[in-house]
Amino acid sequence: MTAPRHVFRWDLDKTYLRTEFDSLGDLIKSAIETAADKQAYPGATALLRTLSTTDGYKVCIVSGSPTQMRTVLAAKLALDGVTYDEFVLKDNVRNILRGRFRALRAQIPYKLPALLGSRGGSPPAPAETLFGDDAEADAIVYCLYADLLAGRVDQDTLARILSSARAYDDEAARTLALARQAPKGDVVRRIVIHLDRRSPPLGFRQFGPRLVPVFNYFQAALVLFADGVLDARQLLFVAFEMLDSGQYHLATLANSLQDLMRRNRLGSDTVLRLADEVGAMTTGGLLSARPDLPPFATIARAFTERVRELRGAAPVAWPTDPEPLDYVSLVDHEHDHRRARRRRGHG
Amino acid sequence: MQRIVVDAMGGDHAPEEIVKGAAEASLALPDAELILVGDAEVIGATLPRLRHDGARVRVHHAAQVVEMDEKPGEALAAKPDASILIAAGLVAAGEGDALVSAGNTGASVLACARAWKLIPGVRRAALASVYPTELRRGEKNDPFSLILDVGATIDASAEDLVTFAIMGAAYASLVSRNRRPRVALLSNGTEAGKGPAAVVEAHQLLLEATQLNFIGNVEGLDIPRGVADVIVCNGFVGNVVLKMLEGVSETVVRLARYAHKEKLTWRIGLMALSSALAQLKAVTDWQQYGGAPLLGLEHPFIKAHGRSTAPAITNAIKVAAKASAGDLCGHIGRGLAELSARREGSAP
Repeated sequence: MTAPRHVFRWDLDKTYLRTEFDSLGDLIKSAIETAADKQAYPGATALLRTLSTTDGYKVCIVSGSPTQMRTVLAAKLALDGVTYDEFVLKDNVRNILRGRFRALRAQIPYKLPALLGSRGGSPPAPAETLFGDDAEADAIVYCLYADLLAGRVDQDTLARILSSARAYDDEAARTLALARQAPKGDVVRRIVIHLDRRSPPLGFRQFGPRLVPVFNYFQAALVLFADGVLDARQLLFVAFEMLDSGQYHLATLANSLQDLMRRNRLGSDTVLRLADEVGAMTTGGLLSARPDLPPFATIARAFTERVRELRGAAPVAWPTDPEPLDYVSLVDHEHDHRRARRRRGHG
Repeated sequence: MQRIVVDAMGGDHAPEEIVKGAAEASLALPDAELILVGDAEVIGATLPRLRHDGARVRVHHAAQVVEMDEKPGEALAAKPDASILIAAGLVAAGEGDALVSAGNTGASVLACARAWKLIPGVRRAALASVYPTELRRGEKNDPFSLILDVGATIDASAEDLVTFAIMGAAYASLVSRNRRPRVALLSNGTEAGKGPAAVVEAHQLLLEATQLNFIGNVEGLDIPRGVADVIVCNGFVGNVVLKMLEGVSETVVRLARYAHKEKLTWRIGLMALSSALAQLKAVTDWQQYGGAPLLGLEHPFIKAHGRSTAPAITNAIKVAAKASAGDLCGHIGRGLAELSARREGSAP
């Protein structure tokens, strides 16, 4: 089995699927929804399909949804034309049978070993990109996973983090073993956090420039274009799906691009290169066979215009060499935050 | 999609509160695009601290600002890259549908008047203001009446006053969802012959040439009662009335504070009324209403209060979006065209 060039690890709920689970009613609704009822975020399907069909790319889905939902979730992905290489779900029935109620809500003790197990279970890729959301501890788990692989978090620290995350002893031991065995390397190139709750992007600054909070999947595609993971044609495939959804216009896509520039997550040179590539696209071929979509020249002009409007204003300064993360504090804080939300009746 | 241009640098609390208000509006108005005009570096540093939708907010850099205490004409001449000038220019160029500013009133009005055309049939624009009243109106049970003009046109002719009446009625029917607003002329008596010549002539024109729900003349004391939904006067009178009403309100608050300090029995009385007073404050809170529309130009302009904080800006943006979505300027234009046609038809 040959190693993939790049692995993309995706969460599902609130990252790919528009899921509400802030109340018991939301949870029940989510559990009884059919595959056809489930809605993906505009552009997410196009992005996943693009990634899953590119040679050398591998898509692994790691979701906190229970294993009982595998059939309906797999059917939804099939309906969307999304293929994947791995699909990991949480075995909550087993947790209940073992009386492990704490594990039902636990994020880090579930997701971290799932990620490490996936990394260790197949030939390791030299690059990984991770997709999560702002509703749960995805930013913490993904950064921890990246730092573990890069050798920036040692076993003692990991043990303290797992203790802070209220992991059961055997879960902690298994996670520590997986962390020891996982092929190492500074391989996590990018962490994309979908701002489902519209959290202020600056709240993620502490996680460093590798993590990019995005408001939508056009922004995710732009980041991947800048990273050299997607080409302009693939980026437009995502953009067109978003325009097709009716929830986005060319102006809102261009605004999304400008937002990334203002946040210093996309350089004006990259945007101008993209505009050049889009403008140079011929009128023939698959992408242009849609008279209802804006012509390439119009798209290129809209993108260039957003660069011009900033008139060279300096973007937000981002720490290029951030302080090492104090994961124990982050986990404690996240735990307190979640408890406070539960007390307020938000899941 | 409604494209609302916001002067991010105008107002006592700009740009922070303006950007906050726009950020909130980006979440509250799913079909609006907010174009923030101002120092892109400052706005760019403020936005990521706030909950907002990055796809609905666009920043257009403007290097200069007209300060609140500057003389409008001189400031605009000296600052060609002022945020209000750029903002009005964007709307004129078709890049925005409506404008919101909490900045220097004179400079804002002047910038719009220079960049935008008047609606055909309008000779002079009017600045309208809202005032809390005893009676409520419209589908929204709105506790505000509209007074115009409050300062844009100091000396208005009878024709101007009729135009103001049509513009005010169009605004009230759209924003307050008041299908047939009661329109009145402000005068020194309710009789048709009372008041200066322009008011007397306007009274006759409104009765004979328009199909407005014109209820005649009202006096100053009728304003807070809410007898009329739209009160028409020239800019000089309107400005004096508005300032006096504001002064009375402030004096009442000061008297209440004095009473609170002075006697225990008065304090107890005020405490007993506290929930009612709080409710009154909520109803009459100008921040809830957003701002004053400048009527008569080809695009909607909402002038938010200079002291506006984020909620007032959000509400001003909502009003601007509503005015744009409801084609306020088109309504005014059609109202004036009907008036013109009616008068031509009845001409000997």
